[in-house]
Amino acid sequence: MEKQGDLVQGTLDMLVLKALRRGAKHGYAVAEWIHESSNDVLHVEEGALYPALHRLELRGLLSAEWGSSENNRRAKFYSLTAAGRKELAEAAQYWRRMSGAIARVMQTA
Amino acid sequence: MKTWARVKALFHRKQLERDLEEELEFHLAMREEKKRARGIAATEAKYAARREFGNTMRVKEICREMWSFRSLETFWRDLRYGARALEKNPGFTMTAVLAIALGIGVNTGIFSVLNGAALRLLPIPRASQVVSVDQIFHGKIRRNVHGEGSLFSYPEYQEYREHNHVFSGLLAYEPFLQATLGGANPQQLFGAATSCNYFEVLGVRPAEGRAFLDTDCSGPGSNAVVVLSNNLWRTTFHEDPAVLGESVVLNRSRFTVIGIAPPGFGGTEPVPSAFWAPVTMQQALEPERDFLGDANMSWLGLLGRVKDGVSLREVRADLGVIAGRIDQQHAGRTTTLAIHAATFLGRPEERQFVFTIGGVILVAVGLVLLIACANVANLLLARASARQREIAIRLSIGASRWQLIRQLLTESLLIALLGGAAGSLLAFWSFEAITQFVLAHLPHGFPQLALNMSPDYGVLGYSMGLTVMTGLVFGLVPALNATRPDLSTAIKEDNLGVAGSSGFLRSTLVGLQIAVCMILLIAAGLLMRGLYSAQTIDPGFEMANVTEAAFDLGSEGYSEERANAFQESMMARAASLPGVDAVAEGSEAPLSDNHSGTGFLLPGETEGRQMEFNRVSPGFFSLLGIPIVRGRDFTAGEARAGAAEIIVTESTARTLWRGQEAIGKVLRESGGAERVVIGVVKDAQVSHLGETDRVYAYLPAGPKEQARMILLVHSAGGYESVAKGIREAAHALDPELVVDVTKLEDNLEIWRTPSRIVAALSGALGTLALLLASIGVYGVVSYGVSRRIREIGIRMTLGADGKDVMGLLLRQAMRPVLIGAAAGVAGCAAVSQILSKVLYGIGSHDPIAFIGVPVFLLAIALLASYIPARRATRVDPVVALRYE
Repeated sequence: MEKQGDLVQGTLDMLVLKALRRGAKHGYAVAEWIHESSNDVLHVEEGALYPALHRLELRGLLSAEWGSSENNRRAKFYSLTAAGRKELAEAAQYWRRMSGAIARVMQTA
Repeated sequence: MKTWARVKALFHRKQLERDLEEELEFHLAMREEKKRARGIAATEAKYAARREFGNTMRVKEICREMWSFRSLETFWRDLRYGARALEKNPGFTMTAVLAIALGIGVNTGIFSVLNGAALRLLPIPRASQVVSVDQIFHGKIRRNVHGEGSLFSYPEYQEYREHNHVFSGLLAYEPFLQATLGGANPQQLFGAATSCNYFEVLGVRPAEGRAFLDTDCSGPGSNAVVVLSNNLWRTTFHEDPAVLGESVVLNRSRFTVIGIAPPGFGGTEPVPSAFWAPVTMQQALEPERDFLGDANMSWLGLLGRVKDGVSLREVRADLGVIAGRIDQQHAGRTTTLAIHAATFLGRPEERQFVFTIGGVILVAVGLVLLIACANVANLLLARASARQREIAIRLSIGASRWQLIRQLLTESLLIALLGGAAGSLLAFWSFEAITQFVLAHLPHGFPQLALNMSPDYGVLGYSMGLTVMTGLVFGLVPALNATRPDLSTAIKEDNLGVAGSSGFLRSTLVGLQIAVCMILLIAAGLLMRGLYSAQTIDPGFEMANVTEAAFDLGSEGYSEERANAFQESMMARAASLPGVDAVAEGSEAPLSDNHSGTGFLLPGETEGRQMEFNRVSPGFFSLLGIPIVRGRDFTAGEARAGAAEIIVTESTARTLWRGQEAIGKVLRESGGAERVVIGVVKDAQVSHLGETDRVYAYLPAGPKEQARMILLVHSAGGYESVAKGIREAAHALDPELVVDVTKLEDNLEIWRTPSRIVAALSGALGTLALLLASIGVYGVVSYGVSRRIREIGIRMTLGADGKDVMGLLLRQAMRPVLIGAAAGVAGCAAVSQILSKVLYGIGSHDPIAFIGVPVFLLAIALLASYIPARRATRVDPVVALRYE
């Protein structure tokens, strides 16, 4: 891997969904949450984040609403829809199976 | 979900843009704030935030694209651009739209007539659940038929009704039942004898009173009750509610009125019913016949309402089992059932007829539309070469060929849509009126039809489909041609340019128009000639001054004796009317639509032959002016006795006994009676106009047939006074009798009307085609002239005079016309072969049509070229050379 912290397409969608599991967040907070939760390993590029958010919204996995941020600015808050929750559960399960499998493969001598 | 979000986004485009902007702005602000909090200088923080973010434009672009229907938006853009282009050129737009409107209008109109006649579902609630059932027999068939062979017998109906598992109800009805409504002014009505669940299955509730109950149909002759149509109630009974419970007389039997059908309901046939009576009353309505008990008699139509959730396939399978069971009683016969959504004219025989005729007409109007398409394509080609520079420039600055074609096709579709909408409106508005007019002017003897021609989804779909197809047909070739990728020449080319391949295309289109137009016009010409020969044909007997009178004695319940007495005194009374010089009777009036036939054997032959015959009284031949060539006429005594003598035509004598004396020969009727030939008469077209039957014979009118004899009266006086005299004489004998008096000549109308309608239709279509084609020729020549003004100027400066220029232009204009005309004549030679089989009186090689029409068409084309060409010869060379 040349550039550490790059995200595989599709994985970003899952991370975004995960970031919103505990409640609505705006785009910036989603990026920050992923960054911090990964102990500063994963860095989400804004150029990929916003298209991902809009794509998920179009697919009906997220709903969006304008509200005011912690510093009282107008911001677009995203939250999971029922479909989004279902998608997240499926993605998480798939991810566990895949990462477990990859880990086992990598551990064999 | 996605689509809907996009559709919403489409209408909130600006909002979406602003939101996206603000969202990204917020993100940058947050990042900037965070950097500042870490102690980075304000300006530095701002730039760092932007740098980290990367290309905001690109992000916006990606998001925007995600939300949009790209194809829809480009379509919308193309549409606006196309509308502007059309608006800029109103002359062109008007011409094109008008041509398409005429083409689509006539197609939509014809289709809506066809739709009303045979495609629409029945005018009843939830009509899509109702299917018609018809049977088609194969193998050994011995069957009695009243109406069409595909109808059912009463026992068969009961079988299907009792044992099917797929219908919530199955009804049977005898269509086209003729009955006389008694009273002060007896009138002839069409009605129906129906099973007692008729109204229930159709879902029609009487407007007044009640429908039939099951007990009304409990057995033969049960319950003389009747439901009247709203129309009859209105016209004859003046909407008097007291008629309920009263009795009316139908064919001499009394029926109690129990209900009035709702307004607009006329049954399930295109000829509206005036009344409905229980099927078990059949014999009361048709006294001379008993259908109910005959298990092998076709006379009832079947309609079933399919249970919810049952498919047509299940219906076919279920009824097929019953059909198979019935077949077991008829060795060697198999039955297939035709089960379709119920429509007017749905029986297999009717369907075939309507679709054949409808197909021919649709092809003809399709050809007119083709001419219109060629016209518009030609205009587009001309316009495209004027726009060549615009197109070349757009191509060279990077528009793809596909984009340009799409743009040009959008324009064509726009023209087609405008034309289609205008044409459809025109058709909806005018065709109903035209058809009503035609129906109202059908000659005596044609039943009045009730067709619903208002547009429905079928008609709208047809005209929409046709419109889109039209747009593609006339738009595609010009679009492909205009975007040919030879940029450099096009940009350089100035107006002097010779048209090149688009010139060839235009000529081809003109040729095509002329060819199609030629086919339509020659066909119209042939039909007109056919009509003319039908008007002037000599049928071989005298029609002028002959009046025919029919009395429906059979259905009026006359016994044999009473019928004989009636006819005898009727003949005597008619003979004594002033001006009457001859009276005779025949079982068939010449050229009426009734025909009798029988099988017979010649002695020594085992193979049966068929002949058509008429039963006639003495004096029949002399009244009609048919000469007796050899032998003698029947005597009064022979007629009274219904003797075994027979008179044959010359053709018959030739066919059966070539070279021998026919008189005295014997033939045996399939009924067993031996008949001796006593006379030979000259051939006459008494059965089918324009045809002489090879075997046709006359039998003496016996006492058994008197109930259905038709009275023929020859008189020197006017028709009106004779008709009045006959009616009065008949009513003096029986005041309640319906008397049908007509001129014998009117029977010719029955033969002429179909060709007259077809000739009028094809004449109108031909005129339309001619108009469109001449506009086409005119347009192409005048466009050519305007493009070549400079060339003409040069020629004239170099010494060519007006005549030379005119000759040059006309030669070039007429070349495609001549080629097209030749192709058209060849094509029509093939078409006329088909037409001569379908329609009466058309010679397939009529010289007047085949020479006259091309000459006429060429003259019109020459005129259409001459007018614009003349303009060219008046050009002042100096002006022409300066002309850009």
